[in-house]
Amino acid sequence: MPISVDEPLLDIAGLSTGYGKIGVLNGIRLTVRASEVVALLGPNGAGKTTLLRAVSGLLPWSGSVRFAGRNLAGASPRDVVRAGLTHVVEGHRVFTQLAVLDNLLLAAYDLPRGERAARIEEAFALFPEIAAKRHERAAWLSGGQQQMLAVAQGLVRRPRLLMLDEPSAGLSPVLVDRVLEVVGRLREAGTAVLLVEQLIEKALALADRVYALARGSIVLEAGTEEPELPRRLEQAYMATGGWSATARLPILTDFLDTRTQGMPDA
Amino acid sequence: MIGSIVSSGVAIGCIYALIGIAYNVMFSASRVFSFTAGTLGMLGGVLGSLFIARMGMPVAAGFLLALAGGAALGIVTEIVAVRPVLKSLDQHLYVLSTLALALMIQQFTAIEWGTDARPFPRLFDIARGGFDQQFWLPMLACAAVIVGLELLYRHTLIGRAFLAIAEDSYAARALGLPERRLRMASYALAGAIGTLAGFAGGEMLLAFFANAPMLTFYGFVPVALGGMGNNRGAVVAGLLLGLFQQAANFLVGGIFASVAVFTVFIIVLLARPEGLAGATFQRRV
Amino acid sequence: MDTRATPLRPNRAQASGSASALVAALPFLALLLAGVALPLFGGGYWGVIATRACIYWVLVSGLNLVVGFAGQIAIGWVALLTLGAYTTSVLAAGTVTPALPPYLALAIAAVVGAIFGLVVGLPALRLRTFYFAITTLGFATIVTQVALAWQSVTGGGVGVAGPVFPEPFASQWGFYYFCFGLAAICTWMTANVAASRFGRALTAIRDAEVAAEASGISKPVLLGAVFTFSGAVAAVAGGLFASLQSYITPDAFTIDLSILFFIAILIGGRGSILGPLLGTILLTVLPEFAAPLVAWSTFLYAVLLLVIVLAIPGEILDFRNRRSLESGRAIIPRPDRLERLLGALPNAGPLTLEQVRLSFGGVRAIDGLDLEIRPCQVHGLIGPNGSGKTTTLNVISGYYTQQSGAVRLNGAALPALARHRRAHMRIARTFQTPRIVGSASVLENVMIGGTVDGECTFVESLLSLPRHRRDEAMLRDTALLALEAVGLERLAAVRADRLQHSELRFTEVARALMLRPAFLLLDEPAAGLSTEEIRRLSALLLAIARAGTGVLLVEHHADLIFDICHHVTVLNLGRILAAGTPAEIRSHREVVNAYLG
Repeated sequence: MPISVDEPLLDIAGLSTGYGKIGVLNGIRLTVRASEVVALLGPNGAGKTTLLRAVSGLLPWSGSVRFAGRNLAGASPRDVVRAGLTHVVEGHRVFTQLAVLDNLLLAAYDLPRGERAARIEEAFALFPEIAAKRHERAAWLSGGQQQMLAVAQGLVRRPRLLMLDEPSAGLSPVLVDRVLEVVGRLREAGTAVLLVEQLIEKALALADRVYALARGSIVLEAGTEEPELPRRLEQAYMATGGWSATARLPILTDFLDTRTQGMPDA
Repeated sequence: MIGSIVSSGVAIGCIYALIGIAYNVMFSASRVFSFTAGTLGMLGGVLGSLFIARMGMPVAAGFLLALAGGAALGIVTEIVAVRPVLKSLDQHLYVLSTLALALMIQQFTAIEWGTDARPFPRLFDIARGGFDQQFWLPMLACAAVIVGLELLYRHTLIGRAFLAIAEDSYAARALGLPERRLRMASYALAGAIGTLAGFAGGEMLLAFFANAPMLTFYGFVPVALGGMGNNRGAVVAGLLLGLFQQAANFLVGGIFASVAVFTVFIIVLLARPEGLAGATFQRRV
Repeated sequence: MDTRATPLRPNRAQASGSASALVAALPFLALLLAGVALPLFGGGYWGVIATRACIYWVLVSGLNLVVGFAGQIAIGWVALLTLGAYTTSVLAAGTVTPALPPYLALAIAAVVGAIFGLVVGLPALRLRTFYFAITTLGFATIVTQVALAWQSVTGGGVGVAGPVFPEPFASQWGFYYFCFGLAAICTWMTANVAASRFGRALTAIRDAEVAAEASGISKPVLLGAVFTFSGAVAAVAGGLFASLQSYITPDAFTIDLSILFFIAILIGGRGSILGPLLGTILLTVLPEFAAPLVAWSTFLYAVLLLVIVLAIPGEILDFRNRRSLESGRAIIPRPDRLERLLGALPNAGPLTLEQVRLSFGGVRAIDGLDLEIRPCQVHGLIGPNGSGKTTTLNVISGYYTQQSGAVRLNGAALPALARHRRAHMRIARTFQTPRIVGSASVLENVMIGGTVDGECTFVESLLSLPRHRRDEAMLRDTALLALEAVGLERLAAVRADRLQHSELRFTEVARALMLRPAFLLLDEPAAGLSTEEIRRLSALLLAIARAGTGVLLVEHHADLIFDICHHVTVLNLGRILAAGTPAEIRSHREVVNAYLG
């Protein structure tokens, strides 16, 4: 369904959701345009994963979510995937009891039989490391390779928008760069990406725009070219105070030069 | 004598194993156990006798129709007794809903078919003798199902989808797999397998409504001992159970054989609640 | 070491407690009168029906504790009816032993039933729900088969004559009054249990098992008690049943009966006495109005069971709390109440962790952790997701056992795998997601926290002896005080599942306070609370610490930690990243990294 040039590819307005009685998100407003990389940052427990789950139909929600001009209210995850929006969940969950190729075949489940092989090869082309292991069971892949497989699964359908939930978690810096490099190439090829990340520096380097989510609401929206972004981010996170302004700044700028603290996983 | 114990033991063990596989297929698709597995076995015998003996259909037609009936019942189970309770917060409603459905079917059968055990037709016109068809038919059915499932899981897309859902239904859903349709298909498959068990074992067990509670229990023992969702474990445990039961029957007679089986079962289960083989692969949290 | 403060003496709420008890008793009194007066306006036929209803209720009243309260799906309970029927009949008939007087036979049947009830029920502690249900069904089948085959004793398919009770219970109405009397006694006893700490403990096991354990409730002991009781009354019902039938055969004990008992409990609602009672009467009487459908009775029972399970998620007969709650209600704690509640806590030593290590699979969740929680202090434990904060709390409260290292209270190591013993050591905790019994009132939920302080035994509760009533009054008063302390006293009588999330959090704190804890462990209590509520929680926790409790606060919310903690430990990947005062931690570079990242 064609959309006008001005309308964003993904348009979220007033989204609220939670788990049972516990409200997690409150009135979220977020947009992603075609061929754009948007980073979604925020401290632990802010609700980033919850937001992705709501958009992809894994969680019920209230508010408005429009994708490619289409209203996603009541859509199941399958409907959402078929509309062109795929969600690579947190924790590189692949089907370890199946072969790498089978994992991608399942991602191609709804495609016409003739197209499956071609699309799978396209996904493999981006990740030659796992193409080499296509007949091995996914259990034998390293954590980093499983993450690449999970991203590949998200790409088999040639989505217009790919949502990635912390693809760097548990990966060594080399592999993180590898995955983010693929994200860059996707943007050039016309795929939009919504990237939830903990590594602020790398996410800011790659993304076009950034949102910060804290305590269930969007607290900052900015283009990554804008000045003073690190300070604004930090202010947004710690908005309810407790941290003195003068003490924080040098520490934060220091931090942005340091390496990630994740466990190396090659 | 030993030969008779072995052949009848393995045969009945295969029937129990098939019911256990039916339990497992339903469990892999929905993570709940359904009381209808034993009822499906009972229906295999009843429907077979109804179509072939009473209505005079040819054996092949009666066979296929009986399997279709089982598959249909599997789908009904999913829609009526499983899907509604999966959404609820109370974890254990499925025990009661599937029990209720199983009882409804058993009672309906008791009323319409009668409470007597009716004979099951002879499927192949071969003379009775040593290694009789009533023994090798269940074995053949069991082997066919094992091979068939292996082919399904390894070589078809839908089979792989079943494995995916069994391992991680959250990831399967996020990937866009049609979870509900696949679950219904699993239940239909389980229905066919259960009915096949009863059909193949029809001569041994007769067309008898009271086979349902018996198969519900004895068909679950392979699952409990072999590990939840573990089909290979179910086959091994089923065969052992069948042999043990026939041997006990021969040595101490019917009633005390039942008590012996039950007691051994309870003791093993209390000692190893995850089954003798241990739990099948658990999704890491 | 006895760290108990003296319990509060019962000094109020007696009056209001009695008034509501009277109202609750009215339906029972009405039924009592109707039952006593039955012969006046019912014929002999209805007498038989009524007698059967009484007999079924004797069994269902006990099974209700197992199924309705404890939530155990024991489907094959007709086996106990069979056992009781045959034991009584055979002993009274004198075919195997010299003939015994029927009352003695009945008493022996009760003992046999108690033993088998325990034997059949105990696997519930080890087995999953479905497995347990199947084993009870298997047991029922076995018992019937044995009855059929053991011809020398049971008469096999031919059966055996039921016992005949001597005058004045030999006549039809005489026997009716006998059964009615027993039914009334069973109602009274089970109602007593329901209103005791045992009844509340059972519902806690059913709906909030981890919280039950943290409150000191021992699942094996409690389940053992109810299974034994249930087995005994079921066997007594069996003996009466045999007498009513005058002649029993194995096919009188079908699966239909088991289903009937189950439906009666489910119709009536879990956690109720009146509901299953009315359900039993209804289901006994119903077939009489639908005679042509008798052949279909089991089928219809099964349909009814399916309908109930699918269509009615909650209880039918819950008349409490139909009035709406005020919206915009605030939780206003009263820390001044804490002094009365907590009393003078004896000087306890610190709670220490020494080089604790715990791995799950290949992952080191806690890697050489040293921690010291002192009384009168609030100790914060923070760190990113996966740092081991909650795991540490679970180790201290006994849900996990460390693989090396020690957890010590006052120098003595805490026993491993004994999470329900922590309550006795006055170590209380709350949970990341509130674990409460939705169908019980807020007050009852809080009273569960004080279970270990009750002194009366199960039998004393059954018979409502004075010590039971003293316990109840004491628990009630303490719970009200705890609710006042956290600011929820106006919601005391409200069903817990009607509360907002934040109110449930405070309820958990009140429940933990019931233990008069030497140490209070809180698992991310600020999640889901508004800023104002967090401020009130902070004040409350500080007051609790000032009263002498050592508070361990596992939190994600930086403000709460820095505002009230005396000491903060920061974890990362299972190890201590930093430890010190809030001021020191705030400016610590690596902590900022870990938190922003």
